[in-house]
Amino acid sequence: MLTINNVVKHRGNQKILSGVSFSARPGRVTGFLGPNGAGKSSTLRILLGLDRATSGSALIDGVPFAELKNPLATVGAALDGFGAHRMRTGRAHLRWIARAAGLPRSRVEEVLEIVGLTNAAGKRVGTYSLGMGRRLGMAAALLGDPEILVLDEPVNGLDPEGIRWIRTFLRERAASGKTILLSSHLMGELAETVDDVVIIHHGKVVADGTLEEVTGTHSSLEEAFFALTTEHAGAVV
Amino acid sequence: MRAFNAELSKLFSLPGMWLAFVIGILAPPLLAILDSLAEKEDIIAGVSTRLSEVGFTGLGGGVQGIIILGVLAVSSEYLTESSESGGGNQITTSLTAVSSRLQFLLAKAGAVTVISVLLSILAIGTTVAATHLILGDYAPAFEASRLIGAVCYWTFTALLAFGMTVLTKSGIIPLAVLMINSSVVTISFLLTKVTKLAFYLPDMAGLDMFLSPSGGFHTPFTGGVIMFAWVTVLFLAAAIVFHRRDVAS
Repeated sequence: MLTINNVVKHRGNQKILSGVSFSARPGRVTGFLGPNGAGKSSTLRILLGLDRATSGSALIDGVPFAELKNPLATVGAALDGFGAHRMRTGRAHLRWIARAAGLPRSRVEEVLEIVGLTNAAGKRVGTYSLGMGRRLGMAAALLGDPEILVLDEPVNGLDPEGIRWIRTFLRERAASGKTILLSSHLMGELAETVDDVVIIHHGKVVADGTLEEVTGTHSSLEEAFFALTTEHAGAVV
Repeated sequence: MRAFNAELSKLFSLPGMWLAFVIGILAPPLLAILDSLAEKEDIIAGVSTRLSEVGFTGLGGGVQGIIILGVLAVSSEYLTESSESGGGNQITTSLTAVSSRLQFLLAKAGAVTVISVLLSILAIGTTVAATHLILGDYAPAFEASRLIGAVCYWTFTALLAFGMTVLTKSGIIPLAVLMINSSVVTISFLLTKVTKLAFYLPDMAGLDMFLSPSGGFHTPFTGGVIMFAWVTVLFLAAAIVFHRRDVAS
């Protein structure tokens, strides 16, 4: 369970988030939507303890990230980029993470297999394509077999096969009772993957509900999104 | 302990670290050989005033490898990926794998310390061997106390580089400052000509642990304490800044 409660973030004079609240529940895929610069990544970073909130709280199973005893086994995260040093091989990257979590080396091979990166595991990360790098990020997130996944733009850079794989994979995980929060700006893709939708715009949550609730009377999630995030649109929650 | 293992694993799987090892093992004996050759005639004639320093000068001047180690341990975390790959960096992964920042920093400093001690012992081995190769029976005795001083000097130097890089997030400034100061012109040494206060700079005080650039201004022990104080202050500053800083900033 992820609970974001009235999170405010200022950076210098800029107000990035002004009172963001929502939650992501077990057994469901929650899509976190918003235009570029709306505050999606900032929210996820605060949730993962990477950035500090000016006020408010972001809790993982009721505690802030910094207080998690075994972070990798609780929440797996794949944020922007690959999150890896380009001179290291994919396998070496996953191995140090496995060490940090006290996991055996065999688990590294398992996650490489899951994300389909076994054949490229011996290559330096710097030679990876965007899609391969994203798969490596997913592999890192899955190492500790966590109950919660937090993914920033997971389908970005993936080929159609990769997108299909991730959709099926996330649906299966949610079906087994795990919590998944993913951010995206690809509406069509998201509509086929998520159960719940949170839309953020200018650092404020403008819609929060199930896919059906947020889509409402609009013909698609995309229509609803533009109605909510285009200036002068009426506020609908 | 897990975080410490992870940091060791990170350092050993980084190709740049092998450069640090090669330089660390080769630079001191090379300097020692040059110094020994320059002093050889005087030493054999029995008129050298620098016999006790030969060899140790290599360990004092050959710290470039250890500087690379300290800097790279931190700067590799912040190396930004290409923009087409999303412009991320490893620090986000590191801090989602270890939830306490202080624990992360201590683990990293611990890994740097262990590798520094190891590297300095290897460097002492190559340096003593090189000095014996050139001077044969005339080679000076390498007292254990001074060798321990050299190990401390190397380790503290690595930790200073480490602390500076945590503050700057990029390796360029610490690398430039420390490399130039250790090899091209010793700015700290020049400063000692201007003011005695410069003997309290970390490198000048630290060298007193096994050489005596201050001419007895500090005892080896005091020199070590002064350098360690610098390391501690810098580490505390780095820890405070690191604890407060947003990864995105």
